[in-house]
Amino acid sequence: MRDETKANLLAAWRQRRRNLAHGWYKYSRNPLSVIGLAVLALIVLVAILAPYIAPYPGHAKAYTNFREASQPPSAKHFFGTDRIGRDIFSRTLFGYRFSLMIGAVVLALGVAPGVILGLLAGYRRGTWIEVVIMRVTDVFLAVPPLVLALAITAMLTPNLLNQMMAIALVWWPWYSRLVFSLASSLRNEYFVKEAELTGASQFHILFREILPNCFAPIMTKMTLDMGLVILIESTLSFVGLGIQPPKPALGTMVAEGAKRLPAEWWSTIFPALAIVIVILAFNLIGDGLRDVFAVEDV
Amino acid sequence: MPNRSPLLEVRSLHVGFRIFEGHLRVLDGVTLSVHEGERVGLVGETGCGKTTTVKSVLRVLPMPPAKVTGGEILYRGRDVLKMHRHALHILRRQELTAIFQDPLQSLNPVFTIGSQLRDIVRDSMRTPEGKPLSRREIEARCIQALEETGMPDPARIMSNYPIQLSGGMRQRVCIAEALSTNARLLLADEPTTNLDVTIQDQILRKLDRLVDQKGASVLMITHSMGVVRDLTQRIYIMYAGSVVETGPTRQLLASPRHPYTEGLMASVPRLTGRGVSEGIPGRIPNYLAPPPGCRFHPRCPHRMPECSVEAPPMFDVGADQRAACYLYRRPSP
Amino acid sequence: MTEPILEARGLTKFFPTKRGTVRAVDQIDFAMAPGDTLGLVGESGSGKTTTAQCVVGIYAPTQGDILFQGRSIGATAAKRSRDLKREIRIVFQDPGSSLNPKRTIKQILATPLAVHRMASGREQLARISALLERVELPPTEYLYKHPQSIGGGEKQMVAIARALATDPSFVVLDEPTSALDVSVQAKIINLLLGLQKEMGLTYLFITHDMSLMRNAASRVAIMYLGKLSEIADTADFFQMPLHPYTKMLLSSIPVVSDEEESLKPAKGISRGEIPSPVNVPPGCSFHSRCPSRMEICDKVDPTTVEVAPGHVVRCHLFPLRREIS
Repeated sequence: MRDETKANLLAAWRQRRRNLAHGWYKYSRNPLSVIGLAVLALIVLVAILAPYIAPYPGHAKAYTNFREASQPPSAKHFFGTDRIGRDIFSRTLFGYRFSLMIGAVVLALGVAPGVILGLLAGYRRGTWIEVVIMRVTDVFLAVPPLVLALAITAMLTPNLLNQMMAIALVWWPWYSRLVFSLASSLRNEYFVKEAELTGASQFHILFREILPNCFAPIMTKMTLDMGLVILIESTLSFVGLGIQPPKPALGTMVAEGAKRLPAEWWSTIFPALAIVIVILAFNLIGDGLRDVFAVEDV
Repeated sequence: MPNRSPLLEVRSLHVGFRIFEGHLRVLDGVTLSVHEGERVGLVGETGCGKTTTVKSVLRVLPMPPAKVTGGEILYRGRDVLKMHRHALHILRRQELTAIFQDPLQSLNPVFTIGSQLRDIVRDSMRTPEGKPLSRREIEARCIQALEETGMPDPARIMSNYPIQLSGGMRQRVCIAEALSTNARLLLADEPTTNLDVTIQDQILRKLDRLVDQKGASVLMITHSMGVVRDLTQRIYIMYAGSVVETGPTRQLLASPRHPYTEGLMASVPRLTGRGVSEGIPGRIPNYLAPPPGCRFHPRCPHRMPECSVEAPPMFDVGADQRAACYLYRRPSP
Repeated sequence: MTEPILEARGLTKFFPTKRGTVRAVDQIDFAMAPGDTLGLVGESGSGKTTTAQCVVGIYAPTQGDILFQGRSIGATAAKRSRDLKREIRIVFQDPGSSLNPKRTIKQILATPLAVHRMASGREQLARISALLERVELPPTEYLYKHPQSIGGGEKQMVAIARALATDPSFVVLDEPTSALDVSVQAKIINLLLGLQKEMGLTYLFITHDMSLMRNAASRVAIMYLGKLSEIADTADFFQMPLHPYTKMLLSSIPVVSDEEESLKPAKGISRGEIPSPVNVPPGCSFHSRCPSRMEICDKVDPTTVEVAPGHVVRCHLFPLRREIS
């Protein structure tokens, strides 16, 4: 019996590895997605290691050195320095830390409730549960996300936590609507009917039968949304409602630098480019994931 | 079998598909022929390659991933696989016609039946002097084509959209489209599989009569032994990418010789009600690594050592009946 | 007849839609003895699947009742007792849709065992392996596979194993082989018949295939537009089909031998199509296609008549109980 269990687990593991290999094959057929993934991997690595690899880790905090202020890019300062002499390259690396963290936390906060509400509304379509959940969702969706996020942050003290909460509050309705449409079609599948007839609990049906079949679109949307969340975060920071200086948020850096355009172009262009690159990477990965999850003909 | 050269001849056709896991060797030397005025059935189970064969003949297989790795398809002696686009276009427009299993896929949902039918008639038919038909002639030809399929009120059907019709009616429209022209060879791929038996019966009878009237040849692809028995004179049984047995339809169905055909026939539930057999053990091979030799040998109850070495050629097993199985090898003189 | 295990009494299911009421099942009566296989045959739109879905509790009847072992069960599954859900199980037509593609076969088979608290842990694994063996799938090979990596016939075997997991006494088979090839169908039918004997199961077998019913069912019922036209024991039924619709169905079956051909009524009598269940023709709903239509047929709906023991017909050709020559 134990040998058999071992053989079983081995077979399961092999199957999983085969599926992964097949997934990677489909993903890698789009070279741009591979580039996106490589770029993102580099960004994540750099962000994690920022304190060790940044040439001037101290510049990410309150620091002034007016002798080196407003220097153009050079071998000493790759991206130049800002008006109080901080190394923009170092600050950009630290800026990525905040961007990625905010993206991850916002999605973690926003996706889970959105998905659960969407599942419930989709599965109980036609009941008051659906009406309540989906109308609230509609109200949130009716307000432009940026405006809503601005309104919420403006009411609270601008800091990292409040900013993340505000964006998460804007974000969940998109997931409840996505999952709602998936769940309301999946509930008609015979495997759901069968589970109902067996007498399985609603919890089982929602989370064991329906949810696993929603993973692919949720994952794809999350990847694409990471870029958007970073963009919104940058926008909030740009208008001064996000992370407060001297912490290096990319949006704040762009805003600071923008005041000194065009003479000190480097102080705004490089942080802006950093934002563009990370958003692009997430979008390319999203495209690749869509290919992986697409049903193949042959 | 008539001695004239055949209308359609497929010679040792090999077709494969390239996918992630490797190379699927699907068609492994399909050989078949259809003579002028003849009705031929191509029978096999899911995944045996019968649809791939038809798609190859029509040259509608997506390439890649598909690839013809050998053999030829001759239509009136000309190789379809080597034809240029223009010649192929003319061939498809004037000589070949096809009916598929799902009429909703062959009918465009956003155009009326009439506009689709008129297009076909306009493009493929000419007056005896070789001129295009007039608008009135086209209209009359369309109505006539619908009427011939037993459609009630063809004038009204012309203005309907495909979704407004029932499955049986849609398939009648497809038959009307296929037979509205003077095509010489009709390829019918499971035309009645999705229909109820009473509707299937009506449609097959209609098809039977129309094909007779037009004197067209038919290659009928199906998994239903009953359907080919009613409609064809000669059949090919396909298994895992090659023809394993061929012969006059009724004779072959009454006395199948190839072990696969035997197993298949024993699996068909009969109205006489003697129970059903155990089916055929195992399943269709993986085309990535098909078994060497005869592809049926791993499932065959009469397996012999040579079966796994080399694929058997066709041996005579009766009047005009041949089977690809070493059981019927003549002792060498 | 012994005490029936399942009985439909005036079972009716209507669906209100924007275009009118769909009369899917309209006043049907039948009874099944334990160990029976009732083949419920009909064309698409005849209401056979709705009947099955009322029996398992996907729908509650609009009118009438279903009795299981004498108790009324005319309610949706949500309102049925756990025991009842254990006793009555279903195998759906398309195993591609009835098995969750994201779960392994082990997980799929564990669900009914867990829900009905029949086994857990190591014992559960043993039960699942035994179930797989019962449907002739080697457990080591299949336990951790996902449905999309096995063939259609094997999927249906898993679906059968899942239905049997709770030790039911009654199984609804909703076209279990219509999506499969004949050689696979043969295997599955043999398996089902073997399991029936072994476990004393009663089957309600929904299908459109008369030839299959000849070989699998002990009784056959023909359904047309929500009503039963004829019910009889299988041998009787095929020797002496009475209803004109039955004859039309039989004449339409493509067969593979001369011997079968001789059993079919006159060829080529099929005509017309089944009307929409929203607009059921008045009188006998079959009159629009009937070759033996009479004056009365479009005015009065015929009542059921037992023309021979166990042989029930609903047609004006058989107005009274009478001898059939």
